[in-house]
Amino acid sequence: MKLFDIIKDANQNLLRNKLRSFLTILAIFIGSFSIISTSAIQAGVNNFIDSQVDSYGGDGYLAIVSKDSFDALEGLQGSMGSSSGPVEYDPDKIQTGMSPITEEQLDKLKKIDGIDADSIVEEKNISITYVTSDKTDKKYLIGAEALPPGNVKVDLEAGEQLDLRADEYQILLESKYVDALGFTNDEIVNNKIKLVVLDEYTHTEKTFEAKVKGIIAPGVVSMGQQYTNNKLADDIYEENTKYYPEEVKSQVFAVAANYDYEKYSAQEMKDKLEDIGLSAMTIEDIIGTIKSFFDVILTVFKIFGLIALLAAAIGIINTLFMSVQERTREIGLDKALGMSSKRVFFSFSLEAIMLGFWGSVVGIVMSMVIGNLANAAFHAPGAFLETFPTFQLVQYTIPDIIGVTVLIMTIAFISGTFPARQAAHKNPIDALRYE
Amino acid sequence: MSENVILSTHGLHKSYGKGDGRFEALRGVNLEIKQGESVAIIGKSGSGKSTLMHLLALLDKPTKGSIELDGENTSKLRQKQLNQLRNKKFGFVFQSFFMNANDTVLNNVILPLKIAGVRPGERRRKAMHALKIVGLDDKAKNKANDLSGGQKQRVCIARAIVNDPEIIFADEPTGNLDSVTGDRVEKILFDLNHKKGITLIIVTHDPDLANKCDRQIRIADGRVVNGKAVEDEDIVYAKKPPTYYTHDSGDTDADGMLDVLEEDA
Repeated sequence: MKLFDIIKDANQNLLRNKLRSFLTILAIFIGSFSIISTSAIQAGVNNFIDSQVDSYGGDGYLAIVSKDSFDALEGLQGSMGSSSGPVEYDPDKIQTGMSPITEEQLDKLKKIDGIDADSIVEEKNISITYVTSDKTDKKYLIGAEALPPGNVKVDLEAGEQLDLRADEYQILLESKYVDALGFTNDEIVNNKIKLVVLDEYTHTEKTFEAKVKGIIAPGVVSMGQQYTNNKLADDIYEENTKYYPEEVKSQVFAVAANYDYEKYSAQEMKDKLEDIGLSAMTIEDIIGTIKSFFDVILTVFKIFGLIALLAAAIGIINTLFMSVQERTREIGLDKALGMSSKRVFFSFSLEAIMLGFWGSVVGIVMSMVIGNLANAAFHAPGAFLETFPTFQLVQYTIPDIIGVTVLIMTIAFISGTFPARQAAHKNPIDALRYE
Repeated sequence: MSENVILSTHGLHKSYGKGDGRFEALRGVNLEIKQGESVAIIGKSGSGKSTLMHLLALLDKPTKGSIELDGENTSKLRQKQLNQLRNKKFGFVFQSFFMNANDTVLNNVILPLKIAGVRPGERRRKAMHALKIVGLDDKAKNKANDLSGGQKQRVCIARAIVNDPEIIFADEPTGNLDSVTGDRVEKILFDLNHKKGITLIIVTHDPDLANKCDRQIRIADGRVVNGKAVEDEDIVYAKKPPTYYTHDSGDTDADGMLDVLEEDA
């Protein structure tokens, strides 16, 4: 008997009792719908968080400060309502302010195995007085920082990524500035805006004309920050600090660096830095809590989906047991005419797999239809995702779709083995006597 | 008619159950069936004749003793080979037809070919030919359920011969039919026996049908009792020529069927 015949027969047998097959598929559908929907939301959330992570420096990014500064930050947090209680004052440590990273520490940092020495950049706090353009008389406050090194991809609505090493001034702008500065998204890309820094002693203004390379999509990590390339940041910093004494100017409070994340874990790197008196934070440390919060909720939903599938599996067993009972004589005839037990087992198993297949297909298709409608609805004016245009709450990935289908077909197959075994063990004589 | 022995049994025993509940259905059956013979297995209910047929048809295994098919001991065959033998060499006709009532006539006839893995075009052609032999080729597309009892049994015969079997096993083939339709089914079976040389093994209560066979094997209490005193059934045990088959039977369908058989021969 050919495989094609067996598949065709399995589908035909399911159609013989349409209502029963439909109800069984409905039960599977509920399970597959909830699992694929949760997977899609998880994919959407993870994708969004990943794009945020990328815009902060991506995998392998380390934000490094001196250990004292880190303790000071922790102490500050402690005083701001951490459960660990207030931190005691210790005159031997500088716990109230930031302490710089020493030259010696920087040299040691460059030699640490796994740290990309070329990627190390000092984080400079730059301050811009206001932003304006040729198209408007208005002046707006603006915050900006140099884009961290490494494989950084800022989540963009329009335009392209910065060229960090370019010799011109470049900036990525939040979308709220586009309108305010008298442009549309299309117009502002590759156009110039004016960043003005005020000299507070002489009351003269210095203007930096920066080319807008792209528009930053609203997100959770980058909120309120524009990104500049190195040259723009360096020159503004130079302007900001031109009255500082040389030793203060050369002080470094924070550096960003990339490490080889394929070879070393974040914890290994942190331990190495600890040895030279530095503390580091990864992207996961910074936004990990958001991710784990979503993960917990979605795991709970997935468990609900699996429970629904378990109930559906019992439905499959029940349906097929009835089917075996009804078709006892038919099975007997098939076996008398030379069909092997293996084939009988296989054809009933295939019916179970078909039930699983149709249940999961219906579930996935329904979920995709509803999911895409929901995506559109969430981004409608006034809806809760309006301010995050790049955040697709539900995302259906091919591996998820195939994974869920295979999972459900496997569960269906396992459920089907009980009735299929009963069918395969039927004796043709007893089956044919059955009235 | 060839004198080759196609099927023989040696000391065939079959028992069901264990201990006190043990029931001996067959207690040492020895018989030989020649190729092209028509044989009736007769006996009262519970005599063991159905058990004997199941063993001969390789649907069941004897507790003791052996069955030889074409001179080969079947007890040595594996299940897969037994399945293939049944599929290719045997045809089955049952008292209560056993058809997939909701399927078409054609699909019912196709079943053994489908199990054998024959290609769709080929099996359609063979099934239509088999349906032509039983005179139902015009009903191929009908639902099996819409046929009369006699027609259903003819479809079953078509299914039994679609694989060109060597032996047809018929278990009370006319048991559920009235005498007119029963006669017609019998005629087709004996036509196949005479024209195509298919060996016919019929289990029956019906003395008329048994008499039309070349030979009768009477079973009582699990043994062959040929030549012993006739009990309740009016059956002639001596070998005699079939009384049924004649060319001028008056059955209007018969000529068409015979033509097909003659074309085959």
